[in-house]
Amino acid sequence: MLMQFLASGFMLGSVYGLVALGFAAIYKATRVFNFAQGMLMATGAYLAVTGSVVLGLPLVGTIAFVVVAAGTLGVVIQWLLIRPLAGRPLLAMVMITIALSIILRALIVIIFGGGAQTLRLGLPEGSFVLGSVRISAIHATAAGVSWLCMALFMVFFRFSKAGLLMRATADSHEAAVLSGVNVNRINATAWALGTILAAIGGVFLGQLQVASVELENIGLLALPAVVIGGLQSIPGAIIGGLLVGLIEQLSSGYISPKARDIFVYVPLLIILLVRPWGLFGERELGRV
Amino acid sequence: MTTLRSSVLRLLCWAIGIGFVLYVPFVLNTRTVFGYRVGNMVLLNLGLAQVDLMLISIIGAVSLNFLTGCAGLISVGHAAFFAVGAMAAAAAGQQLGLPFAATLIAATIAGAIAGVIAGLPSLRVRGLYFVLSTLALHFIVVFCFAEYQYAFHDVAGVTMGDATIMGFELDNNVKWYFFLLPFVVLVCVMLQSTLGLREGRAVLAMRDNELAAAASGIDVRMLRLKVFAFSSAIASLAGALQAYYFTSVSAEIYTLDTAIQFIAMIIVGGMGSIRGGIAGAVVWLLLPSVLVGTTVELKVLPGGVAQFLVGHQPQMVNLTFGVLVAVLLITAPGGLAGLARSFAARGSRQGSGV
Repeated sequence: MLMQFLASGFMLGSVYGLVALGFAAIYKATRVFNFAQGMLMATGAYLAVTGSVVLGLPLVGTIAFVVVAAGTLGVVIQWLLIRPLAGRPLLAMVMITIALSIILRALIVIIFGGGAQTLRLGLPEGSFVLGSVRISAIHATAAGVSWLCMALFMVFFRFSKAGLLMRATADSHEAAVLSGVNVNRINATAWALGTILAAIGGVFLGQLQVASVELENIGLLALPAVVIGGLQSIPGAIIGGLLVGLIEQLSSGYISPKARDIFVYVPLLIILLVRPWGLFGERELGRV
Repeated sequence: MTTLRSSVLRLLCWAIGIGFVLYVPFVLNTRTVFGYRVGNMVLLNLGLAQVDLMLISIIGAVSLNFLTGCAGLISVGHAAFFAVGAMAAAAAGQQLGLPFAATLIAATIAGAIAGVIAGLPSLRVRGLYFVLSTLALHFIVVFCFAEYQYAFHDVAGVTMGDATIMGFELDNNVKWYFFLLPFVVLVCVMLQSTLGLREGRAVLAMRDNELAAAASGIDVRMLRLKVFAFSSAIASLAGALQAYYFTSVSAEIYTLDTAIQFIAMIIVGGMGSIRGGIAGAVVWLLLPSVLVGTTVELKVLPGGVAQFLVGHQPQMVNLTFGVLVAVLLITAPGGLAGLARSFAARGSRQGSGV
């Protein structure tokens, strides 16, 4: 049983890691703590519904549609909501993302209705047995694609020019501006990437369950994931995601599904009290 | 002369305001003004139940504004404190058998204790990390509430006793209105006067510059805990009142959305002032009724659109509110109270110029 929980926790955690990575990308580049990440994830699931059910696109077309639409959405959000608030205090930044999630939720319910939508993309179904563990094909696909996306993001972040500029901006905003980096474009890119990663995570979680606005609560688990891993650390976000996935599966498997929240948020509180910079983050020094 | 005239004017405004506040429940209850029947439209589609809930929301919003606007501590844990209040009142009333008034006191004390515990992370972490600790607090409290509910009450919800105070039962909306009103006034007056005291000014100083405040001899850490305890005690009282008003509450109503709505209220109303909290709660109450009422009654829109708006009322309200928050954040960081203040300043400047 333990192996089963560990395996499904790992696969679910991979998807969380992906969403958390999108979150970390936005935070690192723009210093915006995106409370709307959960809703962006739900939006991804609904974009997939739009692509496959409403527009009747095939699998590849739907994926392309989700990626393009999510990227555009990210750029629009950055341009419309985040850019005007540059340099404003923390509460304004936190609140604008909360307002964004309120708006997105309302729009989704107005367009698609409050009920859940089933999402069938024609991904491989059924399950196979590996040793003593039964693995469903959708879980395996989700984990595989998540790791692929994470790897792509890491390569982009580490080796591409845009990734370098992004790291430079994250490191020091002013220095990047002085060196002639178009910081606005970098921020827009970060938002586009973060939204795309969240949307892909949403597509898979929509497959594993159903597409509904309640996915937001699952998406919000990216917050503890990122903080447990360390806000400043990109690998930390992925590992935090994996940890949250494992905690969720183990606690709901051995105790009860309701116990999930307590086993995720109590460690979060402990981390905040003992090691606020997270397991893998670097200690931030306060400035006077 | 002018000072006398303005003070008389002010007195008159107060008298009209008080008269209005005292007369409103009867108007909404009987749907008549001085014996004349008035239409739904004139009353903005409002019911007295909504107004009662608004009064409870005002207590919540004002206490959050004290915490966030005045002390600079952002918290998404306000729904959790409502839950603490409801839980404490239910436990004191149902398990211990205390009377209604005593359960309210128990809820307030429980809220203060919960506030101190919830404020502990503030000794160590700042800003964003503190927001997250209140987020964690929210989920932990709601979990505890659910466990309490399943252990001692029904799956449907925690049942509260009758709200009876000295043999006088609060069994209709008019009675509730006049029961809640003193609480609102008391809380507002208390917070307003606190801001004028040494402690209150220390709170503002701490918000504006923590280091400078500490250097002036303010024990910032202790003060932060005190503010948190104070604010959460008030929120818990509001939570207990709300639970009694609903007669039964379940864990599902204490969502993160509720907490976020309180933050939205103080953003819309204006941060850092009592007035802002009140204005935000009032807008939050009026918006749905006005929005739907106008579209239905005016019928200026083609039938389909009005139908659509009515069919999607809660979503339209959320959408409007979300957009309102975003627009105010970008264009008017002071909220409605800030806008009113700047209009008043402009008006008086023009007046003195002439």
